[in-house]
Amino acid sequence: MIMHDLFLPTPLPLLSCGIAIMLGSIAWRRSIRRNLSIGLVTLLLALVSVGSHIGAAPVDGAALFLQDRWAVYTAGLVGFSALCILLMSWRDMSGPRADTGTGPHIGMRTDPRTDPSIGAPNATLNATPAGASSGTLDSTSIGDEYSLLVLLGTLGAFAMVYAANFMPFFLGLEILGISLPGLIAYRQGHAMQACEAAMKYLILSGVSSAILLFGIGLAYAATGSLRFGLPVAGNGIPPLVAMAATVMILAGMFFKLSAVPFHMWLPDVMQGAPVPVAAFMAVVSKIAIFSSLVRYFSMGHAPPFLDTLLYGVIVLTILVGNLLALRQTSLTRLMACSSIAHMGYLLIAFYSPGPLQPGTLGAYLAAYTASTLGVFAAINAFATPDGTDGTTILDWKGLFFSRPFLATAMALMLLSLAGIPPGIGFFAKFEIMATGMDHHRGLLLLVLVAGSIMGLYYYLNIIRLMMVPPSLPAIRRGPGASPELTALIIVLSMIVVVGGLFPAFIIHPLFPAYQPGPPPAAVPTQRLTPESM
Amino acid sequence: MHAPIPHALGLLCAATTLVGAMMVITRKVVVHAVLYLVVTLLALAVVLALLGAPFAAALEVIIYAGAIMVLFVFVVMMLNLGQADSARESEWMRPRAWLGPALLAALLCAELLYALPSLLAPLPPPFAGPATETPLPPAPPLFRLGVHDVGLSLFGPYVLMVELVSFLLLAGLVSAFHIGRRRAEER
Repeated sequence: MIMHDLFLPTPLPLLSCGIAIMLGSIAWRRSIRRNLSIGLVTLLLALVSVGSHIGAAPVDGAALFLQDRWAVYTAGLVGFSALCILLMSWRDMSGPRADTGTGPHIGMRTDPRTDPSIGAPNATLNATPAGASSGTLDSTSIGDEYSLLVLLGTLGAFAMVYAANFMPFFLGLEILGISLPGLIAYRQGHAMQACEAAMKYLILSGVSSAILLFGIGLAYAATGSLRFGLPVAGNGIPPLVAMAATVMILAGMFFKLSAVPFHMWLPDVMQGAPVPVAAFMAVVSKIAIFSSLVRYFSMGHAPPFLDTLLYGVIVLTILVGNLLALRQTSLTRLMACSSIAHMGYLLIAFYSPGPLQPGTLGAYLAAYTASTLGVFAAINAFATPDGTDGTTILDWKGLFFSRPFLATAMALMLLSLAGIPPGIGFFAKFEIMATGMDHHRGLLLLVLVAGSIMGLYYYLNIIRLMMVPPSLPAIRRGPGASPELTALIIVLSMIVVVGGLFPAFIIHPLFPAYQPGPPPAAVPTQRLTPESM
Repeated sequence: MHAPIPHALGLLCAATTLVGAMMVITRKVVVHAVLYLVVTLLALAVVLALLGAPFAAALEVIIYAGAIMVLFVFVVMMLNLGQADSARESEWMRPRAWLGPALLAALLCAELLYALPSLLAPLPPPFAGPATETPLPPAPPLFRLGVHDVGLSLFGPYVLMVELVSFLLLAGLVSAFHIGRRRAEER
């Protein structure tokens, strides 16, 4: 039998089983709560088992999957984020918005409102959420596929994270990219906008996949193998082919990562998507693609022509991402632009290979994940079933007076994203500075500082708005967030604070990763932590 | 021993592909573009066959030139349902429209017929020995990738990838179903 020479990280079969069970349960009787529970249990099991695998790794390294520290760490982040996102969607999916009887009529009534906006897509983007929660569909028919698609997307992300070969990488990328349009189209009450965003994502994801696939094809033509590895010119490989392959693969990955020449789609799509799905795009898919990017470029020495290319991309990504974020009025759009900028910071660390790199990348990814998830969880908790959906920045005015707990958590997350000490973000940015200094990337670090200053403006602006005393006395004390959202926010805040105070917890599991020597060198850890300075 | 397939034949096929693709993106009428697209895909299939991958060539013809093109034509017909006047349809289908694709297709057919004896011939041993002083530059492919090989690798080392592809299809199905149903119910 063939089973003896298969090597498979356990989360993949676990997620597959979970998806199969969920399909069976949907076929038996539709129940959103049960589906969400199955999804949560599956993700929890997958998260626990990120480090284990089935079968033995082949000795010659020809396996399709690979499970080293980097893969396990990023897989853990992916699993944790997916778990948080499913928890975030719990209320939206199974909440009290079950006007089953009147659903279709409301849908008919909102038709005139949405019809004129078909001709003017820009109008739909700026439309105020007047009938935000007018559930146009009854909730029993709408939420079924949600957890299924989240699980499928997570499966794709896991396949990408563990991939050591182009084939599982590309298939995972496609699974993720195909399940996202379905998720994006889930937004309640903004059907046209959500469908527009889904179509935009589908087309641009297709284009970038085509570029990536072309690059993979060229790399295969050059090296004759689908294993990850940079095609290096020389010994029979024409330099032009190797260069074209590398550039096209990089372009495809940057497209998915929304680095700057290819960034325009992210704010539009994230604004059109529901809040948890926007978090999914900002966190899970970014981590997965970034993990593969690092894996791909760790398989060989980057050719010299990449230097100028990466320099340009990084500088542009940081500056444009931050500049775009300055004038946003929608919170999800702002988060999208800030996510572009954070990808730029990450690329600085990616561009500085060395013994410090895995720890730096791990710390920054963890900081970015925790803080971004925290912001999105706060947005979700702020949304009320019959009021705002929390994505307009002006709605947050005076939140410190009406809902102090939520405002404090939000402020903490924003401070962490901006890189101010109590949060984990400060430490992560510090690490990037240290890594960059190690490689004398003066210009890039200058840009990082400039970008961080711009970031301070728009992050602190939200906090300032939340501190403005409300003109009316705050009467409408909402019913408060649901318990699972509160718990989620507390957990994420604790991660942000504890990670900021004791950062060694986060980078410690990563440090001996790429060091071939027998002694697990703990020296760099001590040299880098801010406490020891 | 049949004559080896000359390189020029492969280049001719590739040129046909390019010409067809350029015609696809420059046509103004969708039906004409679809006609050229069929020719492009057929030319690609011939290239694959010449490269020694008859199974891939067959798949290309069956799936792309066959099934997907039928879908294309079907959608074009559906979209024009409102203003379906047969006059315009016959205007589209004038000989001038299909003459180009037909010529290209005939060229492809001739190439395939010319190369068929060498494609069907038994494969030569990989290297008979250094006896032949004049190495044949346009050597025929040393192996053919048939159904057997593809099946073996799909159910051997790549069986996990087959599973992943099944999940990809599932994701596509669920996504498309969800978006389509929403749009239908919102109307």
